[in-house]
Order: sequence, then C-alpha cells, then structure tokens
Amino acid sequence: MSALASRSPYAPKAGGLVAEAAASWLLAIFWILPLLYAVWTAFHPAEFSTRFELAAPLTLDNFRRAWAAAPFARYFLNSVLLVALVFGAQVILCTLAAYAFARHEFFGKGIAFALVLLQLMIMPDVLIVENYRTMGTLGILDSIPAIALPYVASAFGIFLLRQTFKTVPKELDDAARLEGANDLQVLLKVYVPLAKPVYVAYGLVSISYHWNNFLWPLIVTNSVESRPVTVGLQVFSSGDQGVDWAIISAATLMTSAPLLIAFLVFQRQFVQSFMRAGIR
Amino acid sequence: MDRRNFLTGATALAGLASGRARAAEATEITFYYPVAVGGPITKIVDGYAADFEKANPEVKVRPIYAGTYQETIVKMLTAHKSGTPPTTSVLLSTDMFSLIDEDAIVPIDGLLKSDADRGWLKSFFPAFMENSRTAGETWGVPFQRSTIVLYWNKDAFREAGLDPEKAPANWDEHVAFAQKLTKRDPSGNATQWGTQIPSSGFPYWLFQALATEAGTKFMDEAGTHTFFDKPEAVEALQYWADLSQKYKCHPPGIVEWGTTPKDFFERKCAMMWTTTGNLTNVRNNTKFPFGVAILPAHKQPGSPTGGGNFYISKKVPAEQQAAAVRFIQWMTSPERAAQWSVDTGYVAVRPDAYDTPTMKAYVEKFPPAAVARDQLKYATAELSTHENQRVTKALNDAIQATLTGSKPADRALKDAQVEAERILKPYR
Repeated sequence: MSALASRSPYAPKAGGLVAEAAASWLLAIFWILPLLYAVWTAFHPAEFSTRFELAAPLTLDNFRRAWAAAPFARYFLNSVLLVALVFGAQVILCTLAAYAFARHEFFGKGIAFALVLLQLMIMPDVLIVENYRTMGTLGILDSIPAIALPYVASAFGIFLLRQTFKTVPKELDDAARLEGANDLQVLLKVYVPLAKPVYVAYGLVSISYHWNNFLWPLIVTNSVESRPVTVGLQVFSSGDQGVDWAIISAATLMTSAPLLIAFLVFQRQFVQSFMRAGIR
Repeated sequence: MDRRNFLTGATALAGLASGRARAAEATEITFYYPVAVGGPITKIVDGYAADFEKANPEVKVRPIYAGTYQETIVKMLTAHKSGTPPTTSVLLSTDMFSLIDEDAIVPIDGLLKSDADRGWLKSFFPAFMENSRTAGETWGVPFQRSTIVLYWNKDAFREAGLDPEKAPANWDEHVAFAQKLTKRDPSGNATQWGTQIPSSGFPYWLFQALATEAGTKFMDEAGTHTFFDKPEAVEALQYWADLSQKYKCHPPGIVEWGTTPKDFFERKCAMMWTTTGNLTNVRNNTKFPFGVAILPAHKQPGSPTGGGNFYISKKVPAEQQAAAVRFIQWMTSPERAAQWSVDTGYVAVRPDAYDTPTMKAYVEKFPPAAVARDQLKYATAELSTHENQRVTKALNDAIQATLTGSKPADRALKDAQVEAERILKPYR
C-alpha cells in the first residue's frame, strides 16, 4: 500500500495517511460498537449486560428464552418468503419497465416516467391508509402478498435500471438485432447480463429494506402465519416495564443474523457492485 | 364466586335471547392488544381468550398482538379509516379524546341494556374512571392500569444508616435520604445515586405526580384547558431539577425510563419512581430486600393513574359490539382482575378484586401488592386532552429543557402553556 502511495502524486503523505487510517478505524469502531454490545449482552447472563467483566460466564440461555417467546421459526419462513416474493416481482417488473423507458418510444413516455419518479418523492408511510384499504378491497389482508404488493412496482428499481440500460452501447443492441434477436432476447442476452452488478446492489438494498421493514407489515398482518420476524420481535417491546437488554440483544442478533452472514460472505461482491452501480 | 356465576348467568340469558337461533355461527370478535409488559404476556392473554370461549361457545375471540401502545393505536386507526376496525382494543386511557375526535369508538353506556350491566361500570375504582369518562358518557373500561410508586433498596438504606423499613414520607425526607444514599468514588463520580425519577419518553407522567403532590391539576375534565404554568407546577419542576442540579443526589440530565429498573437491580440507584406495572419485574430480578411505598407527599400525597383501557370500535356490527361487552365484562370480573394483577403486577381495577381468595393470598405473601391500591385514594387522572399527543409533547419538551438546564422551570412551563393554549383553542 505504501509503495503504491509513494508512486501516485495524489496519494496522502505520511501524516495524512496516519490521520486517514486513524479516522477510518475510529468510524469503524463507532459503527461496530452497538453490534459488539449486542453480542456481549446476548451471550452473558442479564446481570452482566451493563458490566464488563472478562470472566463473566457465557450462556446461550438468552437465545433459548427469545426463541421460546414467539414462534420464530415460522416468522423466519415468512420473512424469507416475503423478501423472495418482493425481490422476484421487483426484478421482473422493473426490468421490463426500465427497458421500455430506456430503449422504446411510446405515447406519453415522458409523463409516465415523471409519474414513476414522483413515487420516489413520496414516503410509503403516507400511503398506509390507502394501501390498507386497497388490500381490504382485494380481500388479501393479513397475508404475505399483502405485505409485498405495495412495493413490487419499485420506482427506485425502475429508475436505477433505466439509467444502467441507457449506458449500454446502442451498437451491442444493434448487433444483436442483426443476428435476428427479438426484443425480449435482446433484453435477456444483452442488457440484463451487463447490468448484473446493479441487480446485485439493488438486491441487497431491497432485501435488507424488506427484511427490516416494520410498520407496514405490523399494520397489515394479524396472525402468526403471515408476520415477518421484525413484527415477531414486538413481543419484547414491553414499554411499561423497561427492557431486558439480554433477551432483546439475543433476539435482535437472531433476526439480523441471516443478513449479517450474507453480508460477510458476499462482502466483496457487494462492495464492488455498489461502486459500479453508483449507489451509496 | 357468586358474582362470577351471576355474570355468566346473565350473559347466558342474553345468549339465549339473541344467540340461540344462530347458535351454529359464532360471532367473531377481534381484539387488539399492545405488548406493554414483559414475560409471556401473549400466552397469558391467549389463555384468557381460550377460557372465555370455553365459557361462551357462541363467541370467538381473536387476540391480535400489535406492538407498543403507539403502534397499536396507529394500527387501530388505520383499520378504522379503511372501514374494518377491530371489535375491541386496549389502548392508553389518555387516548380517549383522540379516539372520540376520530369518531373511532362508541360510548360503553349505550351498549349496556340491563341494570346489572350498568351497575358493572360502577364497580371500578373511581380514580380509574376519571380517565374513562367525559361529558357524562363512559368511553373506556379500565383494564391494565397502574400508578407510580416508590421502590427502595433496604440494604442501601441500612448501609447509609437509615431505617430500612421506612420510606421517605415527604419531599424534604426524600432529598435528605437521597443525599445520604448517594455514594461517590474517590474521584467524585457517583457509584450509587440516591434517587431516580425517569424522564425519557413520557416525563409528563412522572412530573404529574410531583405536581399533584405540590397541589395542582394539569387539565379540566372536558380536556380543553391546561394549567401547566401554575406556581405549584413550577415548584414541582424546580424540585425535580434541584435533585440533580442543587442537591446532587439524582443523575443529571435525562434519565431513561426503560433502564431505570435495571439501574435499581444493579444498585446504581437506591430509590426509583416507576410504575406499579413493574412490581413483578422487580420482584423477580432484585437480589436484595426491597420496599414499595406511596410517593412522598408535599402538600398532599398523589400520583396520576396510567395504563390501558378497553375501547369498543364504532364501525363494527351491533352483535359484535354486544359480544365485545360480554368479553370485557368477563375480563374485568373480580377473579379475572385479581388473576391479571397477580400475573402482571398491574393494579386490580376494582375494589372487590382485593376480596377474592387469589388476591388475599397474594397480598399476604407479598404485601407491596397492596401499596398501589392504598395510593389510589390520592390518585388523579393522567394528563389527557384533545390532541393529546401534541399537548403532552409541549409539556415533555418543557420538562426536559429544565432538567437539562437549558431553560428555567417557570419559563419552560409558561412556553408549554402557551403552546397548549394554541393547540386547544379550536376545541373550546
């Protein structure tokens, strides 16, 4: 790293390098602290949750109690089904819409795209009552599709993919057409493969958002059969009596573990996709 | 036991009259319940619903657990605005005016047909009904209600040379005890604070206890006028701020509500002011002898009530509303109220619950359980007005500004009063 730094005229000099390293360590430590605290409290008995003693006994009891407090296995299944459904539908819909917006001319295209962009400006929480009423009319209240439906036509996804498709050289498109590919084949053979990093980055954003989403699933679901893990965590909210940090930490670690593990495993791909897709 | 038989008898009669013809199709009622206490609360409530169904086979109860009180009211109002509200919900007693303004609930009196039913509404502690009635109509039925009490660590009292069996009876003793109980390490940092009054989330509730003791009220019964800047209120807020700023026996700044019991268990504070709803929690988690007492008095003893009431939604069919009344009557019967109190630590909502064998045995084994009841005769209604969320926020901001030292008590409360006037003007 230092050899590289000395060669580039823009790389920070010794003092700057130290400051930069110190700053990034500081930020990293601040970022990881809550997680470290959660790990500490989750694996120790409740009386050690505000005391730091290296010799404190380790225990899995908090996890056992958290797991027993609600049907978490079912909630996990629901969450997985939910994010799969949302992401699957988003990929199909957004790809088709983005393709139309990027490469096709049709009547009212400008207005249609403006309407899609308008959706970006509106907080989904504002639409809760109207969405609830729509789900009621469709007769699917208290089901996983009801949680997913308002999110499948994602303006963010359409916008992001449209921008990506626009950067694909027109020559590639033309070449494929010369070979006799039809519209759909051009999309699947030329555009989609070139946009792969964007799909990965968008997938991470979408999946983590829907895994963590709370208010809408809470409102639209009533039963264990349709509630995701975040809503399942509510049994620990206990506002009147104060909170048992040990059990909450255990439950939080449990519910966020799939995302954390996925991030650690695919870290390199994620970071690269983000850099290429320009999402921050 | 008599009353319970009588009640089930009465409901069975009502069932005969209306329900026999369509006994095959059960009336289903939905019941939103906020998870506000720890422990296996959802399992307890599921158990109650199942017991009720066993006694009343023509009614099906579906409890729906809906997060905190705040999340539950959001869920309830969303469903109400979409035309499909739950039949009944447990929400904060202070949300009564907001729910009436939203046209979401019906008065309970209108649903009661017989004299026996109307008598049932008179069986609750009057202090709890103050938050359930307005303009001559009853809109809520007390269910999981609480007041604020003082918990003290008897070991800490002994170490500080105080009588471990005697809690501070008035404000002066409270300060004097707290100063003796505050322990510092050689560098001057407190290792144990004398007393702790939480001030996060809903500081107005704890402040209301101090203001009641100082001899003032916060609002009128119609929920349209507030009296935040009375001299007594200023005195109360000053006392609270002085505990940390002048007497140095209370942690400085904002004290977190959620972790205060934990601080007490960890001996970081020797006395704490918190809800009676914490009784079971404290009992299970303290490793030292502790006492529970009525809050220290100033001009008078006092505490606001708090907690949740049953409400019945407006936009549901009449037979569901009738079934909900039966469910609520069953849930608030003396035996059930006693059992609920034992299971959760909430105050049993009616005096005759304290005469049941369950409660008698419990109080005998665990005398602090009766303290909340004894305080009820001094209790006042919790702050509740139209636009309740906004009005209480004005007061909360004032309290926190004074506790953090950024505004003097008199000016902060004057500002809160001006803001409340502005918000409430349209409702007069």
